Amino acid sequence: MAASKGQKLSGMQKQVLSLYRGFLRAARSKPAEERRQIESIVSAEFRQNSKQVDRKNFLYIEYLLRRGKKQLDQLKSPDTIGLSSVNVSSSKKQNADT
Amino acid sequence: MALRAAVLRHIRLPVQTLTATGSRPQPQWSFLRLFSSHDDHLTKEEVIDRVLDVVKSFPKVDPSKVTPDVHFQKDLGLDSLDNVEIVMALEEEFKLEIPDKEADKIDSCNLAIEYIYNHPMAG
Repeated sequence: MAASKGQKLSGMQKQVLSLYRGFLRAARSKPAEERRQIESIVSAEFRQNSKQVDRKNFLYIEYLLRRGKKQLDQLKSPDTIGLSSVNVSSSKKQNADT
Repeated sequence: MALRAAVLRHIRLPVQTLTATGSRPQPQWSFLRLFSSHDDHLTKEEVIDRVLDVVKSFPKVDPSKVTPDVHFQKDLGLDSLDNVEIVMALEEEFKLEIPDKEADKIDSCNLAIEYIYNHPMAG
Protein backbone atom coordinates (compact mmCIF):
# COMPACT_ATOMS: atom_id res chain seq x y z
CA MET A 1 0.00 0.00 0.00
CA ALA A 2 2.59 2.48 -1.14
CA ALA A 3 1.86 6.03 -0.15
CA SER A 4 0.57 7.56 -3.35
CA LYS A 5 2.52 10.04 -5.45
CA GLY A 6 -0.07 12.53 -6.52
CA GLN A 7 -2.43 10.40 -8.59
CA LYS A 8 -6.11 10.34 -7.78
CA LEU A 9 -6.79 8.67 -4.45
CA SER A 10 -8.78 5.46 -4.21
CA GLY A 11 -11.57 5.19 -1.66
CA MET A 12 -9.42 2.99 0.48
CA GLN A 13 -6.48 5.39 0.38
CA LYS A 14 -8.82 8.15 1.45
CA GLN A 15 -9.91 6.06 4.40
CA VAL A 16 -6.29 5.47 5.38
CA LEU A 17 -5.43 9.15 5.12
CA SER A 18 -8.54 10.06 7.04
CA LEU A 19 -7.54 7.65 9.81
CA TYR A 20 -4.05 9.14 9.85
CA ARG A 21 -5.55 12.60 10.13
CA GLY A 22 -7.75 11.35 12.96
CA PHE A 23 -4.72 10.14 14.89
CA LEU A 24 -2.88 13.41 14.40
CA ARG A 25 -5.95 15.33 15.54
CA ALA A 26 -6.33 13.16 18.62
CA ALA A 27 -2.64 13.69 19.41
CA ARG A 28 -3.20 17.46 19.46
CA SER A 29 -5.41 17.13 22.52
CA LYS A 30 -2.64 15.50 24.57
CA PRO A 31 0.16 17.18 26.53
CA ALA A 32 3.12 18.26 24.38
CA GLU A 33 5.45 15.44 25.37
CA GLU A 34 2.86 12.72 24.75
CA ARG A 35 1.78 14.41 21.58
CA ARG A 36 5.25 14.20 20.07
CA GLN A 37 5.52 10.60 21.11
CA ILE A 38 2.13 9.67 19.67
CA GLU A 39 2.91 11.45 16.42
CA SER A 40 6.22 9.68 15.95
CA ILE A 41 4.80 6.24 16.72
CA VAL A 42 1.72 6.73 14.55
CA SER A 43 3.75 8.14 11.69
CA ALA A 44 6.26 5.28 11.85
CA GLU A 45 3.43 2.74 11.89
CA PHE A 46 1.63 4.19 8.88
CA ARG A 47 4.86 4.53 6.92
CA GLN A 48 5.94 1.02 7.71
CA ASN A 49 2.60 -0.36 6.56
CA SER A 50 2.63 1.81 3.47
CA LYS A 51 5.84 0.09 2.45
CA GLN A 52 5.16 -3.44 3.63
CA VAL A 53 1.52 -4.03 2.86
CA ASP A 54 0.65 -4.89 -0.71
CA ARG A 55 -1.73 -2.23 -2.01
CA LYS A 56 -3.97 -4.93 -3.44
CA ASN A 57 -4.30 -6.79 -0.15
CA PHE A 58 -7.70 -5.23 0.49
CA LEU A 59 -8.80 -7.66 3.17
CA TYR A 60 -5.73 -7.02 5.26
CA ILE A 61 -5.89 -3.26 4.75
CA GLU A 62 -9.54 -3.33 5.78
CA TYR A 63 -8.55 -5.22 8.87
CA LEU A 64 -5.85 -2.66 9.65
CA LEU A 65 -8.33 0.15 9.12
CA ARG A 66 -10.84 -1.39 11.52
CA ARG A 67 -8.17 -1.98 14.10
CA GLY A 68 -6.80 1.51 13.65
CA LYS A 69 -10.26 3.00 14.20
CA LYS A 70 -10.61 1.13 17.47
CA GLN A 71 -7.20 2.31 18.61
CA LEU A 72 -8.10 5.84 17.64
CA ASP A 73 -11.27 5.67 19.73
CA GLN A 74 -9.17 4.57 22.68
CA LEU A 75 -6.69 7.34 22.11
CA LYS A 76 -9.45 9.93 21.92
CA SER A 77 -10.62 9.12 25.41
CA PRO A 78 -9.44 11.88 27.75
CA ASP A 79 -8.24 9.20 30.15
CA THR A 80 -5.71 7.98 27.62
CA ILE A 81 -2.64 10.15 27.99
CA GLY A 82 0.20 7.99 26.88
CA LEU A 83 0.50 5.39 24.22
CA SER A 84 0.47 2.15 26.14
CA SER A 85 -2.63 0.96 24.31
CA VAL A 86 -1.18 1.81 20.92
CA ASN A 87 2.14 0.25 21.91
CA VAL A 88 0.53 -2.99 22.91
CA SER A 89 -1.44 -3.29 19.74
CA SER A 90 1.44 -2.24 17.53
CA SER A 91 3.52 -5.07 18.96
CA LYS A 92 0.56 -7.36 18.41
CA LYS A 93 0.47 -6.19 14.88
CA GLN A 94 4.14 -6.91 14.35
CA ASN A 95 3.28 -10.48 15.26
CA ALA A 96 0.50 -10.41 12.75
CA ASP A 97 2.86 -9.08 10.12
CA THR A 98 5.42 -11.83 10.50
CA MET B 1 -54.22 51.28 7.60
CA ALA B 2 -52.47 54.04 9.51
CA LEU B 3 -49.98 51.50 10.68
CA ARG B 4 -49.37 50.28 7.17
CA ALA B 5 -48.76 53.80 5.97
CA ALA B 6 -46.37 54.40 8.83
CA VAL B 7 -44.48 51.24 8.03
CA LEU B 8 -44.29 52.07 4.37
CA ARG B 9 -43.03 55.55 5.13
CA HIS B 10 -40.46 54.06 7.42
CA ILE B 11 -39.26 51.65 4.80
CA ARG B 12 -39.08 54.24 2.11
CA LEU B 13 -36.88 56.51 4.17
CA PRO B 14 -33.63 54.52 4.06
CA VAL B 15 -34.21 53.70 0.41
CA GLN B 16 -34.45 57.37 -0.42
CA THR B 17 -31.29 58.26 1.46
CA LEU B 18 -29.49 55.39 -0.19
CA THR B 19 -30.39 56.43 -3.69
CA ALA B 20 -29.71 60.07 -2.85
CA THR B 21 -26.21 59.52 -1.52
CA GLY B 22 -25.52 56.55 -3.68
CA SER B 23 -26.23 58.15 -7.03
CA ARG B 24 -22.53 58.38 -7.88
CA PRO B 25 -20.14 57.01 -5.26
CA GLN B 26 -22.23 54.01 -4.22
CA PRO B 27 -20.81 51.36 -6.54
CA GLN B 28 -17.26 52.32 -5.58
CA TRP B 29 -18.09 52.19 -1.90
CA SER B 30 -19.58 48.75 -1.97
CA PHE B 31 -16.53 47.60 -3.88
CA LEU B 32 -14.19 49.04 -1.27
CA ARG B 33 -16.18 47.63 1.60
CA LEU B 34 -15.87 44.17 0.13
CA PHE B 35 -12.13 44.49 0.12
CA SER B 36 -11.83 46.08 3.52
CA SER B 37 -13.78 43.26 5.15
CA HIS B 38 -11.21 40.90 3.74
CA ASP B 39 -8.37 43.17 4.82
CA ASP B 40 -9.52 43.18 8.42
CA HIS B 41 -8.96 39.54 8.26
CA LEU B 42 -5.98 38.30 6.23
CA THR B 43 -4.33 39.70 3.16
CA LYS B 44 -3.41 37.42 0.31
CA GLU B 45 0.28 38.28 0.80
CA GLU B 46 0.09 37.32 4.44
CA VAL B 47 -1.59 34.02 3.60
CA ILE B 48 1.06 33.27 0.94
CA ASP B 49 3.95 34.09 3.31
CA ARG B 50 2.63 32.00 6.14
CA VAL B 51 1.72 29.04 3.92
CA LEU B 52 5.22 29.07 2.40
CA ASP B 53 6.79 29.31 5.86
CA VAL B 54 4.86 26.28 7.05
CA VAL B 55 5.82 24.26 3.97
CA LYS B 56 9.47 25.34 4.19
CA SER B 57 9.70 24.31 7.81
CA PHE B 58 8.47 20.80 7.04
CA PRO B 59 11.46 18.55 7.82
CA LYS B 60 11.50 16.66 4.52
CA VAL B 61 11.22 19.74 2.35
CA ASP B 62 14.15 21.57 0.76
CA PRO B 63 13.16 25.19 1.56
CA SER B 64 14.89 26.54 -1.55
CA LYS B 65 12.41 24.66 -3.75
CA VAL B 66 9.31 26.13 -2.16
CA THR B 67 7.37 28.67 -4.25
CA PRO B 68 3.65 29.47 -4.32
CA ASP B 69 3.32 27.19 -7.35
CA VAL B 70 4.81 23.96 -6.06
CA HIS B 71 2.88 20.73 -5.91
CA PHE B 72 3.63 18.93 -2.64
CA GLN B 73 4.07 15.48 -4.10
CA LYS B 74 5.18 16.12 -7.68
CA ASP B 75 7.64 18.94 -6.95
CA LEU B 76 8.75 18.40 -3.37
CA GLY B 77 9.02 14.62 -3.39
CA LEU B 78 6.51 14.13 -0.59
CA ASP B 79 4.03 11.28 -0.28
CA SER B 80 0.35 11.33 0.62
CA LEU B 81 1.07 10.91 4.34
CA ASP B 82 3.39 13.94 4.26
CA ASN B 83 0.62 15.75 2.42
CA VAL B 84 -1.74 15.04 5.33
CA GLU B 85 0.88 16.31 7.80
CA ILE B 86 1.40 19.54 5.87
CA VAL B 87 -2.33 20.25 5.68
CA MET B 88 -2.59 19.55 9.42
CA ALA B 89 0.28 21.97 10.06
CA LEU B 90 -1.54 24.60 8.00
CA GLU B 91 -4.68 24.00 10.05
CA GLU B 92 -2.74 24.79 13.19
CA GLU B 93 -1.02 27.82 11.71
CA PHE B 94 -4.35 29.37 10.66
CA LYS B 95 -6.44 27.96 13.49
CA LEU B 96 -8.75 26.09 11.17
CA GLU B 97 -10.23 22.67 10.98
CA ILE B 98 -10.33 21.51 7.38
CA PRO B 99 -12.81 18.69 6.73
CA ASP B 100 -11.45 15.50 5.16
CA LYS B 101 -13.18 16.12 1.86
CA GLU B 102 -11.47 19.47 1.42
CA ALA B 103 -8.18 18.39 2.95
CA ASP B 104 -7.82 15.56 0.43
CA LYS B 105 -7.95 18.08 -2.39
CA ILE B 106 -5.22 20.35 -1.06
CA ASP B 107 -2.09 19.01 -2.74
CA SER B 108 -0.20 22.17 -3.70
CA CYS B 109 0.77 25.53 -2.22
CA ASN B 110 -1.61 27.24 -4.63
CA LEU B 111 -4.65 25.27 -3.53
CA ALA B 112 -3.71 25.73 0.12
CA ILE B 113 -3.39 29.49 -0.35
CA GLU B 114 -6.72 29.71 -2.18
CA TYR B 115 -8.55 27.61 0.39
CA ILE B 116 -7.18 29.52 3.37
CA TYR B 117 -7.58 32.94 1.78
CA ASN B 118 -11.23 32.20 1.06
CA HIS B 119 -11.93 30.70 4.46
CA PRO B 120 -13.85 33.17 6.64
CA MET B 121 -12.41 31.81 9.88
CA ALA B 122 -8.73 31.78 8.96
CA GLY B 123 -6.77 33.77 11.53
